[in-house]
Amino acid sequence: MSAFSGTVGLALKIAFLSIVNALGIWAAVVLIDHHKWRAVAVLAAATAGLDAIYLVKRWTLPLKFLIPGTIFLLAFHVVPVAYTVNVAFTNYSTGHILSKSEAIAGIKVNSLTEVENGKAYTIAPARDKGGHFLLVLRDDSGATFIGTKDGLRPIPRSDVTVSDGAITAARGYRVLKGTELGSLDKELSTFTVPLGGDKAIQPQGFDTAVVLAPTLRYDPKADGFVRLKDGVLFKDNNRGSFVAANGEELEPGWKTYVGTRNFSRIAHSSLIRDPFLKVFVWTLVFASLVVFISFALGLLLAITLNKPGLSFQRTYRALLVIPFAVPAFLSLLVWQGLLNDDFGVVNRLFHTSIPWLFDPNWARVSVILVSVWLVTLPLLLVAVAPLMIASFAFNFNNFGNIYLLTGGGPALGNSPVAGATDILISYTYKIAFAAGKGQDYGLASALAIIIFFVVATISAVSFTRTKALENLA
Amino acid sequence: MKVGRRLAILLAVVLAASLTLIGGRATPAAHASAKAAKLTIWVDNVQKPAVDKIASAWGTRRGVDVNVTFHAFGSIRDDLKTVKTENAPDVIVAAHDWTGDLAANGLVAPLFPTKAIKKQFPAYALNAFSYGGKLYGAPYALENVGLVVNTRLVKVPTTFAQFEKEALAFKHKSADNIALAVPQGSGGDAYHMYPFFSGLGGFVFGSGKNGALNPNKIGVANKTFLKNAPLIDKWNREGLINSKVDYGTGKNAWLKQKAAFWITGPWETDALKASGIPFRIIQLPKIKFRSVPFLGVQGMMVTKFAAAHGVASLAKDLVANEMMKPSFQLDLEQANLRYPANIVAGKRVSDPVLKQFGKAGIGGVPMPNIPQMGSVWAELGGAWVKATKGPGATPARVAFATAARNIAAKIAGG
Repeated sequence: MSAFSGTVGLALKIAFLSIVNALGIWAAVVLIDHHKWRAVAVLAAATAGLDAIYLVKRWTLPLKFLIPGTIFLLAFHVVPVAYTVNVAFTNYSTGHILSKSEAIAGIKVNSLTEVENGKAYTIAPARDKGGHFLLVLRDDSGATFIGTKDGLRPIPRSDVTVSDGAITAARGYRVLKGTELGSLDKELSTFTVPLGGDKAIQPQGFDTAVVLAPTLRYDPKADGFVRLKDGVLFKDNNRGSFVAANGEELEPGWKTYVGTRNFSRIAHSSLIRDPFLKVFVWTLVFASLVVFISFALGLLLAITLNKPGLSFQRTYRALLVIPFAVPAFLSLLVWQGLLNDDFGVVNRLFHTSIPWLFDPNWARVSVILVSVWLVTLPLLLVAVAPLMIASFAFNFNNFGNIYLLTGGGPALGNSPVAGATDILISYTYKIAFAAGKGQDYGLASALAIIIFFVVATISAVSFTRTKALENLA
Repeated sequence: MKVGRRLAILLAVVLAASLTLIGGRATPAAHASAKAAKLTIWVDNVQKPAVDKIASAWGTRRGVDVNVTFHAFGSIRDDLKTVKTENAPDVIVAAHDWTGDLAANGLVAPLFPTKAIKKQFPAYALNAFSYGGKLYGAPYALENVGLVVNTRLVKVPTTFAQFEKEALAFKHKSADNIALAVPQGSGGDAYHMYPFFSGLGGFVFGSGKNGALNPNKIGVANKTFLKNAPLIDKWNREGLINSKVDYGTGKNAWLKQKAAFWITGPWETDALKASGIPFRIIQLPKIKFRSVPFLGVQGMMVTKFAAAHGVASLAKDLVANEMMKPSFQLDLEQANLRYPANIVAGKRVSDPVLKQFGKAGIGGVPMPNIPQMGSVWAELGGAWVKATKGPGATPARVAFATAARNIAAKIAGG
């Protein structure tokens, strides 16, 4: 009898499967609410499949062990990768996160402008005897009106009771008050009193209303906005924006597919292309040196510490585990302080004044040294070729170390974005999130895909070499 | 047979569990439709008590369920971009420099408070929350840095020359002393350095004819500033400003009385009061121009989701009306340790530290709120770092001219 059977095992299994099924049914109810029939079918099939695999006895045994791993692989690797690839072909960025219909609604709202010198009314929502919704209004001069969907109609001032600046009653109407207002929103927030032309009185909350007029009108036939004052047409540019002939753009835009535009931007933008080689070479140097030095140092320490009869052997070994025990970002911040040129411990201890973080070359040395300190042990434990390649790939994208220690800096004199210690991944981050007009997820995803291919190529070549080495032996 | 029994047990448990889940899901929905409306507000811990107080009083009066939810300040802006409509907030607390980003993304709704309410706010606080000529936020608090002077160690300077003399004399007393604790570090800190930048005639973006900021008018290396920039080289030579001082180093030095001057803001009020050091907070004395700081304005915004949730009028009533009143702003001041944006409320502030920081911010410039500001921070901070790193520093004219070129390239490239 193995640990997976018996009463306890069965109970656990039933409990676990019950949770899976219950979640499945719950998810199905939610999906049915949203009329996502295809998703419901997939969900039902997957849940039934899972039940079958774990309830049937014999032939599904290998699957029982494979399924959890596969699910996690899908959830944590395949889905993000698919998502990244998808985003790389969109314009997803600041100003382009809504759908087109949401963007059109947003532009309409944004185009509303105060007119008549910002004229405002004190208002009170009310109902007439027939229960129809309307507004009682009072302007700055004290003139009073009734506002309906048909327009504004003056009423005698004596009909309206005002106390403490607020309208509390109006003869012939029932002013809505207190908790009644909470349920009024749907009626009130779309309610406008037309004033002729494009102008309308629009309530802002429950006490005030202002006169607003749109500056743009959407024309569904032309699929564009017309600016009312000069007739300029803003047309869909197929890249998620309404743009006028002179290049003026309406905000917000929307998220849409833009084909390979992000990739051609990478190829054509001097901002990205020019420093690319420099950053690429430094990335290679950084990754190779960190792997090489930590491997050499690790081997040396391993041999030394394995010497029989070495006193305090356990203490030394315990000390070596410290880089593992302390979270990397914490030790990076500590290192940043230790390496401060004028006030850091390192320079004070050795009576030197090395500009560890402020000189491009010294900053590069610092980044390598600190990374070695942080990755010595894994190589000590597993000094084999495939893991060196993995370590190389890891350091190739060692964003945390670079970003937290030097932030990619110090700046290189002539490059707008890249700093002396920027590796490809931290450089991507800067291009995507700290340049131009805020965040550009589409461009970032395209760059990430390119970096993936670079790492994949290097790793593939290295693995082929490793195989050759094995064959020789 | 055995499989049959297992199936039976499984089915029973599944049925029970899924009914509980579905039941749990159905109850709040039924509850919500029975009640009038529900308004969700995202705030950080510091604002929560004050917002809770006003929201519950207002909610009872209006017949609304107000759900004040804690959301870490630093993640509100980006989470608003990805949140699903059903979980989205109707009102958020916001920093004014998010305005351009959120408005360009179409995530916030314009507000039209009455003239009477607007009159209670300084124009720059309203401008700080405006984008493309529209107001998107109700300001409630102001913050800015000031020059904190240890009055036991030095005299409070009234001119820049006096400040320079006092700072350098103190520095020369001991090798451990720092002339001025203004944070930079290798990454730079354009925010804390802004009084020196503005005092030499620098500005980030010029404005167009409608008063809106123009990202193509970059003032980082304008003529006046470049003419005055050699003063930076002088400060570097004499050690008045040193970019190797980072936030922690500077704060420590001042608290341990190894620095007599510290550029910091109201977020250090508690540390200042606890230090036991006698101090005064002033605006950095005028260099060539008034050395004004950057202003940060905090406020409340109505999101586009309020309309989808059917609470647009309620949200506007709360934000553009209730929350702009002096009483709410004073409540927040107590919890928030920031100077209220409402002028009437500002006159009633009694905390001496806040009052002094408030005075140090007079004439200040709101941090540009257009999304292109993202291209500026690192470059402007980097120019200061390069020009004030001690021996081997880049001449200031070169450093700032390079920064201006890079900013232009980044903005064009985006």
